[in-house]
Amino acid sequence: MTGGLRGRLLAAFVLVAVPPLLLLTAAVTALLARSFAQSGDERLRDALAAALGQVDRQMKRAEAEVDSVAAELPDRRPDTDLPHLALRIGQNHALPALEIVSAAGRVVSSRHWLAGFNLSEQDGLFPGDETLRVERVGEGYGEAERLAVMASRPSTLNGDPVVVRGGTFIDAEFLAEMSGLTGVRLGLRDRRRQRWIAPPSSPLLAWSEPALSGQDARGEVALGGTAYRFAAVARNPDLWLVAALPRGELDRLTGLVRGLAFAFAAAALVGAVLAAVLLSGRIARPVRELAEQSRRVAAGDPGAAVAAPAGDEVGELARAFNAMTAELRTSRERLLQTERVAAWREMARRLAHELKNPLFPIQLSIETLRRAWDEPGGRERFAALFRESSDTVLDELQSLRRIIEEFSEFARMPRPELKPVDVAAVVEQVLALYQARAAGVRIEKDLAPGLGTVRADRALLARALGNLVANALEAMPEDGTLRVRAAPAEDGVVIEVADTGPGLDAEQRTRLFTPYYTTKKGGTGLGLAIVQGIVSDHAGRIEARSAPGEGTTFSLYLPRDPASVVSSPPVRERPA
Amino acid sequence: MRRRALCAATAALAALGPLLLHAALGPRYGGELRVGVPDMPAALEPGSERGIGAGLVAMLAHETLVGVDEAGFPAPALAQGWSTAAGGREWTLRLRDAAFHDGRPVSAADAARSIRRFLRSSSFAAARLAEGVDGGAAFRAGRGEELAGLAVPDAKRIVLRFAQAPGLPLAPLAATAAAVTGPAGAGAGPFVPAAPVPGRRLALTAFAGHVGGRPYLDRVEVVTLPDGSSVPSEIASGRIDVAPGEPGISRLAATLLLILDPSRPPFDRPAARAAVAAAIDGGDLVRHLIPGGDAAPALLVPALLPPLGLGETPIAGRVTGTATLAVSLDVPPVASQRVVAHLTTLGLRVAVVPSSPATVLAAPTHARLLMWTPEVPEAGLALAELAALTHPSPATREELTAALDETDPARRRARLHRAEAALRSEWVLVPLASVPVSYRTRPGVHGAAVDLGGRLVLEDAWVEP
Repeated sequence: MTGGLRGRLLAAFVLVAVPPLLLLTAAVTALLARSFAQSGDERLRDALAAALGQVDRQMKRAEAEVDSVAAELPDRRPDTDLPHLALRIGQNHALPALEIVSAAGRVVSSRHWLAGFNLSEQDGLFPGDETLRVERVGEGYGEAERLAVMASRPSTLNGDPVVVRGGTFIDAEFLAEMSGLTGVRLGLRDRRRQRWIAPPSSPLLAWSEPALSGQDARGEVALGGTAYRFAAVARNPDLWLVAALPRGELDRLTGLVRGLAFAFAAAALVGAVLAAVLLSGRIARPVRELAEQSRRVAAGDPGAAVAAPAGDEVGELARAFNAMTAELRTSRERLLQTERVAAWREMARRLAHELKNPLFPIQLSIETLRRAWDEPGGRERFAALFRESSDTVLDELQSLRRIIEEFSEFARMPRPELKPVDVAAVVEQVLALYQARAAGVRIEKDLAPGLGTVRADRALLARALGNLVANALEAMPEDGTLRVRAAPAEDGVVIEVADTGPGLDAEQRTRLFTPYYTTKKGGTGLGLAIVQGIVSDHAGRIEARSAPGEGTTFSLYLPRDPASVVSSPPVRERPA
Repeated sequence: MRRRALCAATAALAALGPLLLHAALGPRYGGELRVGVPDMPAALEPGSERGIGAGLVAMLAHETLVGVDEAGFPAPALAQGWSTAAGGREWTLRLRDAAFHDGRPVSAADAARSIRRFLRSSSFAAARLAEGVDGGAAFRAGRGEELAGLAVPDAKRIVLRFAQAPGLPLAPLAATAAAVTGPAGAGAGPFVPAAPVPGRRLALTAFAGHVGGRPYLDRVEVVTLPDGSSVPSEIASGRIDVAPGEPGISRLAATLLLILDPSRPPFDRPAARAAVAAAIDGGDLVRHLIPGGDAAPALLVPALLPPLGLGETPIAGRVTGTATLAVSLDVPPVASQRVVAHLTTLGLRVAVVPSSPATVLAAPTHARLLMWTPEVPEAGLALAELAALTHPSPATREELTAALDETDPARRRARLHRAEAALRSEWVLVPLASVPVSYRTRPGVHGAAVDLGGRLVLEDAWVEP
């Protein structure tokens, strides 16, 4: 019961604690994941805005510087070193990209393409966007193309009309710098030339065919085995600025939160289980104690009591239990006393009855002798009456003596000395003892194999069996069948003694084990009481089954070890 | 009286001043020079390895039989002089009294052994010499040890016999690979090499027994310049005293040369090659991007032949396709960018492949851009060396052979001009500019020079104390 209560309490705690925790964890995780994703999208948008803002700032600065160059160019004295002119001007105005182009479209001088003087300019353009150009630049031993944001202004050089273009490169270096500032991977997709402008280590370079349309785009893409969230904005229809953030960061954060949440849930579960175990123990302990003490009470121990914690229902129950056991103890004391008194009264009545029977003939015999002595001429009859009367007195004195001896013997029944006793041997011994008295009675013996031993007092056990066998034989004076059966049962043995005598009616059955109650002429009525006493001392029990005309069967239940039995229930009478 | 004496003394002082000053500041013995080079030779033995480092070490540690004078003609070196016989087919060289670094005298046998070694080297000049010397081709090809065209009549003379009377047959002996070494490998140059740190530095000490006299410097240390190092800062810091760079001592000794591969498209058509030649304006290149250069005479060997304006004018055109271009690392990047820009303007898509000077000629690319200097700065030999890089037409080959066989100097020069023009007209070799080879020196370094071949000469260099 206790295990069941604790288990139910544990289950109740877990059911109450865990599902809400799990739901809370799932909800928190989902909310945080969404929050991180939103935060990631915001970072992407901010990075794009920052990059575009920086480009615009560069553009504004370029416009200011190019205005200045265009203004001062006409006033320069003729320069014989035209190819290096843009280099010098660009250094002075901090314009990394600067070129002076003739009206015919030939490069007069270029800072970033020093080797390109006198060659036709071959800048790549973006339709509709005058500010962005793909400039040819000298790089290493060859040349390359770099995207630049350029401002253009007309001017004159040595009297000839020219266009001054200057600006800053929007190249891998610029994007690497912006990426470092924003913490987001930035890249430019030139859809016209089908190429990426990005730092060499950028994962965007692995994105072969980005699907970008409209004015902005966002989504997720797998690059180099890593998932990225990206956002992109079109600088012009052919040039997109793309920002990407590895999902790994978001997933890592989400995973971290999820892990923490589940760890918290697991810890809470463990805590709930521990609490459940502790609390259920605290709740179940008094109940268990109550059950234990109830069993003691049921076993006949009136001193059971439980601690009563104050304040709660269990305490109230404990207090009620204690009150009940106290009342029970009192009632039992009174009952015992009453029973004791009743038993003494019954015994005194029986004893008086038994003693009175022999006393009457004694008295009668003495009175007869006195009358005979006192009557005139009665002296001759006195001698004849004296022997007869004295015989009667001696017989009755003998009965009295026997009654007193049996009474004494019943009163001083010894305490059993328990030792392992072979049950089958005892039964054989008893049957052998009464074989001679079973003149016309058939004795049937059924001893089951494996009876083994029981801890018992051999002599008392033999006496009890002997009393039962003797009663059975006395119930069949002419003929009949005496059946003695022994078999293992219930962690002990059961010995049955059955006769085919006249049987007992209901009243006889109820008074069967009452001392001095007998149905036999000349019986003391103590035999079965003695048997009951012996069986009780061995922590066993005795049952009687009988009906008129159907004989009587006595069953003895003896435990293997009387010490293992807390208390033996009182004898039960089972109906036939 | 006193005033007159004072004036006379002042005049004397003024007259003698320069002499005194010269005596005070003129060449002096002693001192040490550290020379930075981009690459060190793999070995100290004379070989045909090209490169600034290899050329410098060869000049410092070895001596050849024959040198080249400022006019580009063979000049005596270890050989005191020579005479011809048998109608110009037999040349006898007389040796000077000279010694190797180990003290052994330089003998004709050493010279002959060195010539035999030279003939079997990978040097182009050696191949050229072997073609002319009796039995030289077979000897060079390893078909025997017999070399009928080389004789040693005595300890001071060696005789070279040629199958035909060649023009300037001794020029190949001016190659560094032809340096004369002793039996144990000792050189006879002005400096004695000490134990080198392979690939990193080499120290050489003055050789008092040099045939030209003890050099002024006590010691020369040749060190490798770290990649990306700045020569001006290295010199300013005192880590080196001389290194390639400018401004400094220089000579127009190199040709910025574009070589097109006629066996691979798009340069398999002469018209395409001509369009490339027409597209690249060497004048602009030199004027604006190669300080000190000269592009007015578009000659393959402008330092060795005076300009005459011969040759065809290339016709402009358009060339499409893709081409790889190997660029030697000693070409100024801006110059190569200019070349690439021109090629791109033509319509070509160019992929640049940077190469070392030692490997650029062997690069398997459509074209090569390099700073070319001849192995021997003699016009005929230089043109022959250039022609060997291509497969000239029979007519051009014939023109060149005739020029090389010409013994008369004036006619020889004229023929060389025609051969050079013919070679250029095939548009496989496209000279872009004559480029100075410069060496920057720290203040206080004097006497260093650059020879016709662009090699640094330190034989007469000295340093101020």
